[in-house]
Amino acid sequence: MTLVSRLAATCAMALLAASSALADVELRITHPISSGAGKDAFDKIVAAFEAANPGVTVKQIVFDDDIYSDTGLITQLQSNEVPDIYFQWAGYPMQRDAQAGYAGDLTAAMADGWKDTFIDSAFAPGSGTSVDGKIYLVPVSLDVTNTLWYNKSIFAENNLTPPATWDEFLAAIKVLVAAGETPIITGNNELWPLGNWASHIAARTVPAAEYDAAFRQQKTFAEAGFLKPLELMQQLAEAGAFNKDMQGLGADPAMAGFFQEAAVMHPIGSWLVGSEGDLAAPGFAYGQFDTPVIDPSLPGSKSVIGTMTGFIQHAKAAHPAEATAFLKFLTAQDQAILWSTSGAISPVKGVADKAKLPVQMKGMADMLAGADAMVSPPDTTYPVPVAEAYYQAAAYAASGERSATDALKWLDETVGAMPKP
Amino acid sequence: MAGRNTGFQPISSGATNLLFVAPAMILFGLFVLWPLGSSVYYAFTSWSGYTKPEWVGLDNFRRAIFHDPVHIASYLHVTLYILGTLVLEVSFGLVMAVVLNSDRAGFSIMRGMFFSPMVLSMTAAGVLWAFVLDYRLGLLNSVLRGVGLDDWAQPWLSQPATALIAIMFVSGWRFSGFYMVIFFAALRRIPRSIYEAATLDGATPIKQFFTITLPLLRQQMLTCVLLAVTGGFAGFDLFFTMTNGGPFDATQVPATWIIRQGFDNNQLGYATAMTVILAVVVLIVAVVYLRVTERGNHVRY
Repeated sequence: MTLVSRLAATCAMALLAASSALADVELRITHPISSGAGKDAFDKIVAAFEAANPGVTVKQIVFDDDIYSDTGLITQLQSNEVPDIYFQWAGYPMQRDAQAGYAGDLTAAMADGWKDTFIDSAFAPGSGTSVDGKIYLVPVSLDVTNTLWYNKSIFAENNLTPPATWDEFLAAIKVLVAAGETPIITGNNELWPLGNWASHIAARTVPAAEYDAAFRQQKTFAEAGFLKPLELMQQLAEAGAFNKDMQGLGADPAMAGFFQEAAVMHPIGSWLVGSEGDLAAPGFAYGQFDTPVIDPSLPGSKSVIGTMTGFIQHAKAAHPAEATAFLKFLTAQDQAILWSTSGAISPVKGVADKAKLPVQMKGMADMLAGADAMVSPPDTTYPVPVAEAYYQAAAYAASGERSATDALKWLDETVGAMPKP
Repeated sequence: MAGRNTGFQPISSGATNLLFVAPAMILFGLFVLWPLGSSVYYAFTSWSGYTKPEWVGLDNFRRAIFHDPVHIASYLHVTLYILGTLVLEVSFGLVMAVVLNSDRAGFSIMRGMFFSPMVLSMTAAGVLWAFVLDYRLGLLNSVLRGVGLDDWAQPWLSQPATALIAIMFVSGWRFSGFYMVIFFAALRRIPRSIYEAATLDGATPIKQFFTITLPLLRQQMLTCVLLAVTGGFAGFDLFFTMTNGGPFDATQVPATWIIRQGFDNNQLGYATAMTVILAVVVLIVAVVYLRVTERGNHVRY
């Protein structure tokens, strides 16, 4: 072979390689699904998508949950190389992204029947997936953000059953304290774990309009009637309900503590089920019940607190067609069943019936079906600083650091200093 | 004179100088002046990081100085932390340098062991000590419970009364070896003859320490104090990993509060204003400290 023909062959190979590289698409997806059964299921869905779409590879950019919501996402959205698809919570974060021009409008893509594959409430007003009738978020999970998980064995040892009313709940806590148990473990060093539950309690005791006005800074929390939920938190503190180290403990170590029987109950969301395989000993028996009824005369006395989570296609996605194709693939029934089996409640029609839901998820699906209202967590519905201030006031009362009255005073002073929207 | 005769032009003319310093000036402007200037601009805006900044004048500064008690308290916490570090890091480092200032066998190993925490990153040290101080499974409480002192076991990082003190101790553990090395190097330069003469004059070791060692280590002492003070104001990683400003903001220092407001609460404009305030405070403290110590350095005859 002459030198010229060798050069020609080399050039031809280089051109071939370059053209095949051009045909390849790398879809960039960022999310906080970093561990447990959820990660396994998502990896399988990604692998199945790549197998079904030769030439398309998916690059997952994964962060821990808190880092993702604090800095991980925003830095990517501000960068020159934005992700094609990103995980987001429905409600305020989605609205903010839509207003800032990050979230892509998927209304047209949904019009071909895709939208009809979801349950009706997925895109209903107030669902937090659309703004002004335009759909921005493809819902993937319906998360119950707080329920009370309990250790069945310790309940049985103390002749306890899941309480139906607040008084029964307090009585159960006193029985557990007398038996030398820590009734409730929570890891509140980031404030949202207990804050979320305290918000649900507030939604059960404060009229909806007043509740909304306080978080929108249109009324003070005292005027809106938030003394009552803070007093309930104080009652728990006085009964010795919580672990001593709750303000220094993280959410994940607290969950591990529950599975290690360091306490009897653990208020946290539906995602606990996904961690059972990693954290619980074989045969660990646990169940869940919703926050007991506080005032049956109030509307929403059997409400559930929760939110939808899903994915947004970036408005400036480098590969919009492939991004939409992935989102359709992710929410197709087979994949939604796989996702749901990992420990999620899917908003895709028919999946709840067909998926082999873990028994705990089945219980939560039933709880959702029996709820008379759905409450959204304040930090996905209202400005985060206001929500966090309420969370901290609740922590003050629940830890006994301040009385309910003083915590409320602190809350109104703190929120009063914030700029109004 | 030789240059004039050979006909070479001196290269120190104004235009040529500018050409040579231009790359450095461009880099300095791009990576120091421009970010600094834009930070000051953002401090006067309401900006979430997602939406466009909106000019709000001095509102952020007013809020930070007059209406944000946690921000004000963060300066109290950092001052307490710095005072703690002066004792647990600088003073203890000095004591250890004097105690371990020996050529006898084993002393160099002890110095190495005392210095070894410095090789750990602050984040790793924070995580490590968070485990040690864990209420339920931590080493400290396990030891206390093991020797029958159950009541002494405390949620060290979960109660306002102990969290800041715990961080000070960890900081001392991490940095005292660093200051020991600085003092040790200086101690080796003090002539032995001075101590021998003092011994002959009947001075006890303690008197020698206060009349010879301390005065001759004055320069190193001033440098170490400056490092501890400015480093204390910039303290973040240990606070972030051990308590994240909690419980109930009891360990909130300016840096953690800035991060909380900027990234947790999406108030980047407000966070930038607090950063500007922090920069000004540190600048004032450093300038005043340097002026005071320089004045003290004047040799009077």
